[in-house]
Amino acid sequence: MSIAINKNTSASNVVLLHYATAAILFFFITILLLISCESFTGHYFQPKVLAITHLATLGWISMIIFGALYQLVPVIVDSELYSTKLSVITYICFVIGTLLLVYSFWYIAIGLTIQTAASVIGLGATLFVCNIFFTARKATAGNIEINFILSAAFWLWLTVLIGTLLAFNLTYSFLPKEHLYYLKIHAHVGLIGWFMMLIIGVSSKLIPMFLLSGILDNKKLQVAFYLLNTGLVGFLIDSIFLGDMSRSPIYLIILLVGIAFYILFLAKAYKSRVRKKLDIGLKHTFIAVVFISIPIVLMILLNTSTITDPNIRLHLSIAFGFSVLFGFISLLILGQTFKTLPFIVWLKKYGKISSKVRTPLPKDLYSEKLAKLQLVLFIVGYLIMVAGILLAQVPVMQFGAFALVIAAILYNMNVFKLVFHKTTILENKIIANGTV
Amino acid sequence: MELYSESDKMTIRIYDSLKQVLDPELGINIVDMGLVYSVILNQQEGIAIQMTLSSKGCPMGDAIISNVEQVLQEDFPEFKTKVELVWEPKWSSEFISNKGKEDLGYYE
Repeated sequence: MSIAINKNTSASNVVLLHYATAAILFFFITILLLISCESFTGHYFQPKVLAITHLATLGWISMIIFGALYQLVPVIVDSELYSTKLSVITYICFVIGTLLLVYSFWYIAIGLTIQTAASVIGLGATLFVCNIFFTARKATAGNIEINFILSAAFWLWLTVLIGTLLAFNLTYSFLPKEHLYYLKIHAHVGLIGWFMMLIIGVSSKLIPMFLLSGILDNKKLQVAFYLLNTGLVGFLIDSIFLGDMSRSPIYLIILLVGIAFYILFLAKAYKSRVRKKLDIGLKHTFIAVVFISIPIVLMILLNTSTITDPNIRLHLSIAFGFSVLFGFISLLILGQTFKTLPFIVWLKKYGKISSKVRTPLPKDLYSEKLAKLQLVLFIVGYLIMVAGILLAQVPVMQFGAFALVIAAILYNMNVFKLVFHKTTILENKIIANGTV
Repeated sequence: MELYSESDKMTIRIYDSLKQVLDPELGINIVDMGLVYSVILNQQEGIAIQMTLSSKGCPMGDAIISNVEQVLQEDFPEFKTKVELVWEPKWSSEFISNKGKEDLGYYE
């Protein structure tokens, strides 16, 4: 089974650029975590937590998702990416905007700085959405993966719009309710609408393909699609137009049932797989799927339990956000990197010569040993970090964050080993990174 | 009496030759992957292969097809070769041979 990759070379370069940038920013996120653990013992609405959260969501997760979509969407719709130029402009907007935004949060530079950052990100998000919509317009009606991806793109745009309004609201205070009220909406739409929807769309295409699963019924995915969108639209109407969040538990149940249908689809794909030996990328993926249970439990506790102590509720909220971004989404992305990047590089380096000379396989282009060590360190670091947040223990968090820093270094070593992979032809044989 | 005709023997040799071409992701040859749908040998027209890919738009497709052509030219220089990519029937994991499944750890 071969992962689908865009044949357009300049588009491939853009994809590589996104992966490399995201990897570097992921390393910086872990460093920032390490040096600001104290901030995770208090309220989430504080400079360093907001800075790290936005670097993670925009610079790391969204950056790599953009790269992956520029590769995947053209393949799903059997067409070229609408515009490589647009993808480059989007990239520039996101890098500049994200760094400026992180600076604004970290140093509390509200006013023109944060407004500029938000506007540049808003422009980038709009261009991205246009690029994806124009690329996907050839898709056949009812293509569930594309429906998820387009829907996610729309929710991204809305998330960024709300974020931009919030950036201006810090100075002009024009929103009718308090700032934190809209921050919750911004976070929920981003997490469920953009990330969750996108992950379902992409993984429902890739995971059965990688596992060589039997023929799967898409009905579960369709139910998940409608439930997630219904839950989000209901939540938005209530919270924005009616100014009331009291029905949130109802929408939470709708969203959880939607996620459950997605997990059932994955379970079916896993059960019917021909490929029993899971490689390192798929191991990351399935551990991430298991880890989704942690934020779900935290979310249920926050919404239904009788815990009234405001400090405990704050710790639960921060642990929830951290476990979604790190335990689920980041772990999933770390794994999928090893299922996509080696193929992009292999195709660039060996695609045209593989029939004439002996070539390494894509899995030979990175170190599996490093990837295994990275997985162990990431899991250990993540679990310790969550425990530290829940217990509000800074030394515990620092220990966890240190493990995450090492995991990020190992990840970067593999990413850059792939990005800078050199091909040498010697006596009609290809020597890849020094080995035949 | 010979069990196989000369033509059958030749077809088996072509299949054996095609087993040199690997799927880059799995490291399993394309015959055991069930990607080769038919091999037709014609003394006048040469070797005609009908094959598919595991997913539409797979960019490894060019490399795989190029490998197929290369291998056939090397092993059967006396024949012209033609490789046709088809999408019907749609490839499914059920097409993988028992040997392929074994290599994938299916029976472990």
